[in-house]
Amino acid sequence: MTLNAYQSARSSDQHNSRKDNLVTLRRLGSAVALSVALILCWRFAEIRPTAIFEPSAATGVWTFIHALFPPDLSPAFLRVVAAATLQTLAIAIAGTVLSVLIGLPLAILATPTLWQRGVLIAGEPPSATQSLLSGLSRATRALFGFFRAVPDLMWGLLFVVAVGLGSVAGTLALAISYSGVLGRVYADVFEDVDPRALEALHGVGASRFQIFLRAIWPQAVPSIIGYTIYSFECCVRAASVLGFIGAGGIGYEINLSMRMFSYGEVLTLILSLFALVAGTDAISRLVRRRLNANVPSAFLARKGLQQARGFISGPIWSRSLPSATVALITVLVIGWSFYATGFFNSGSFDLGLPGRVVRLISEMFPPDLDPGFLRSLLLPLLQTIGISVIGTLIGISISVVLSLPAASTLIFRDKYAAGRNSWFGQTVRWLIYLSARLVLNVLRSIPELVWVLVCILAVGLGPYAGTLAIGLHTGGVLGKLYAETFEEAPSQPIEALRANGASPLQILIWGMWPLLKPTLISYTVLRWETNLRVSTILGLVGGGGLGQAIYNNIQLGFYQRVTVLIAVIYALVLTTNWVADWLRNRPVLFNLARLRVSPYLKESEAPQL
Amino acid sequence: MIYSLHEVSKTYFTSRRPVEALNKFTFDARRGERIALLGPSGVGKTTLFRLLNATLRPTSGSLRFDGGEVSTMSVRELRSMRRRIGTIYQQYYLVPSLTALENTLCGRLGYWSFLHTIRSTLQPSKEETRLAMEALETVGLADKYCCRADELSGGQQQRLAIARVLMQDPEVILADEPFASLDPSLKETLASLLVALVVNSNRTLVATLHDVETALRFFPRIIALHDGHVAFDMPAGKVNRAMLDALYSSNSESKRTPPHYAGQWQGADESDSKCVPVCTE
Repeated sequence: MTLNAYQSARSSDQHNSRKDNLVTLRRLGSAVALSVALILCWRFAEIRPTAIFEPSAATGVWTFIHALFPPDLSPAFLRVVAAATLQTLAIAIAGTVLSVLIGLPLAILATPTLWQRGVLIAGEPPSATQSLLSGLSRATRALFGFFRAVPDLMWGLLFVVAVGLGSVAGTLALAISYSGVLGRVYADVFEDVDPRALEALHGVGASRFQIFLRAIWPQAVPSIIGYTIYSFECCVRAASVLGFIGAGGIGYEINLSMRMFSYGEVLTLILSLFALVAGTDAISRLVRRRLNANVPSAFLARKGLQQARGFISGPIWSRSLPSATVALITVLVIGWSFYATGFFNSGSFDLGLPGRVVRLISEMFPPDLDPGFLRSLLLPLLQTIGISVIGTLIGISISVVLSLPAASTLIFRDKYAAGRNSWFGQTVRWLIYLSARLVLNVLRSIPELVWVLVCILAVGLGPYAGTLAIGLHTGGVLGKLYAETFEEAPSQPIEALRANGASPLQILIWGMWPLLKPTLISYTVLRWETNLRVSTILGLVGGGGLGQAIYNNIQLGFYQRVTVLIAVIYALVLTTNWVADWLRNRPVLFNLARLRVSPYLKESEAPQL
Repeated sequence: MIYSLHEVSKTYFTSRRPVEALNKFTFDARRGERIALLGPSGVGKTTLFRLLNATLRPTSGSLRFDGGEVSTMSVRELRSMRRRIGTIYQQYYLVPSLTALENTLCGRLGYWSFLHTIRSTLQPSKEETRLAMEALETVGLADKYCCRADELSGGQQQRLAIARVLMQDPEVILADEPFASLDPSLKETLASLLVALVVNSNRTLVATLHDVETALRFFPRIIALHDGHVAFDMPAGKVNRAMLDALYSSNSESKRTPPHYAGQWQGADESDSKCVPVCTE
């Protein structure tokens, strides 16, 4: 019976063999296209591999590192650092609160199961109101996409124009940018809720508001809280960078000190930034654990949403503190954050604000479609793409090298494992593990824009510095994610391979890669999308790409050109999303072995039973 | 002696309390022997397996493989020792996203040099691909060579695990419930196959079995485990009903799954699974 089956498998193989030539041709074609694309990216990013090995680069970086020490710890400066750090924190808190306030109502409108399709819609004839709401719902979703696609620094620049320099601009920028992120996530969480609950309530004649309140919200709330806290972590990082464009906080001080060559101050500020980010991460992890609300790390793409899980057990806020106290503290913290960012300060935030925003928007239209201007955007646009692609590739190389020793399951031997265990070997493993983790953390915690400034010291102004900066930061981010992925790999297939006598390299190639491929690809592609957005703004500090054009046109007040730039960025991000989805859905592209049987088995070699 | 275990104990130190899986376990196995391990669930059979294939280190006692003491082996020695031991695990031990053929090829990993690994990663060698197809043919999975392992049914996955071991061509075969999810006729075929494989080339076979009938028919030597030590160790001919009843009745586990019925009905999932071939485009 098996021989027949085998022959039929073979004959289908032969049938395919005519197609094989075509497939090979196509594969060759795509390989050539890919190489050409990469070479172009390389050219546009102006990569000069030798530049980092030139004596001037080493001198530049060395002078910088040398000048970092000792950090400036004078009491006067420490007061400045503390104020800046607190301001960054306030911007992040106020920004998160505003983004929730904007994002949540819009997310309810954007939930497809409530307004567009599904059990609530099926039975109804589409009335005018219904179609209107459905259209609004779709439009809201598109709006979220737009809010997210425009980088937060770009929003920051616009708000600096509208409300003036200072932390209000930064807060509003975060609010807009993250309401797009959170709104989309909220809407997806609401959509994922079991539709049977909706149907049951709909059946007893509940209104949509009641259905949302009784069926959707209770199920969604753990994920909502988890994602909101996670997004607060991201906001802290983002807030620290916003200062680079004058939107207040620690970034402003870093930029200032860098430009005044006071590198000792820079080190103090960066250490303080470390502390802020690490502290926020720790607190948020603690709160999330207490709430038992899990989030798949790093928003695991849009498709990872189903994995959000966990329900709050017991009282929502805390088991040890009375909830009134916690509520009071929360209100106080939020109130402080709005006070500290200057929202109650009539100088920067007054009733004239809406008018100024409207005036700015009206000045942005009609967009400037002068062909000369459009042509001048082409090179920076291509540079931006080149920076993001090559930067991500550099990041991947760094993270592959560092994530393997940073994964505890790979570097350490199981405490029960067979064979000799020397304390010397164990110590060496610990040292390698800790240094890999340390390097990853440093790479990750320093924002891209700071890396750009450092890289400019080494290789000069231009896209090359931006590419290196993206590469270094991405290396840290992806390295941590990769290491976590390796640690979460299912242990049984790996154990079986090891029991076969597989070497560590073989386990990586034949075990880890096929097991973890989808996750690793998803993280990497997601990071590339982020990097593309980042590389549109690197030019603000001299890292090449569209950023320079954005900065110049905003400074010069050419708002009609800014509109065009925003449109270009939006189109670029949409295209990237499309490419990224295409890559994510084709894991076959990343298969290592090309296994086909037909070329190997001659008729005479067919196994006999 | 291919295996020589002397007072081997294995304790897991969990956060609450130490759990003793094996307690002063002593036995020797000669080359060419076929040994069935019997005993209710949770008596340390799986632990014993992981000790025998050198993935676990004993807490105390001496475990020698072909004369070499396992606990003092270097990584390199361990690797060459593991290559000589093939393990058929209970379940979940295949790489789910690799095809059946690729999983079978994994049996050869222990033989590959660094260069060969790189080469095989890009394009596995003709000879090994042919061997792998033969192995799949032997277990009746040749038509599924192109299916991902996780698209196969439980029984098919079990057979694939056997194919991987055939490919490995080891001196010792350790099998943890190798026939658990197979239907009776297939169980018969594969049991005879394993036995033939072992007898013809003087290999050693150690298997845990839930199903006493199969154990008594195919394995000349029976070792019964109880509470981490040997309850009895004797030729299959001398094992009688009373001894088996004593073995299983002392453990509450056995009341839920009587040994005579275990493994009989599980062939139900042996339906022909539909899979989408992934390796031709």
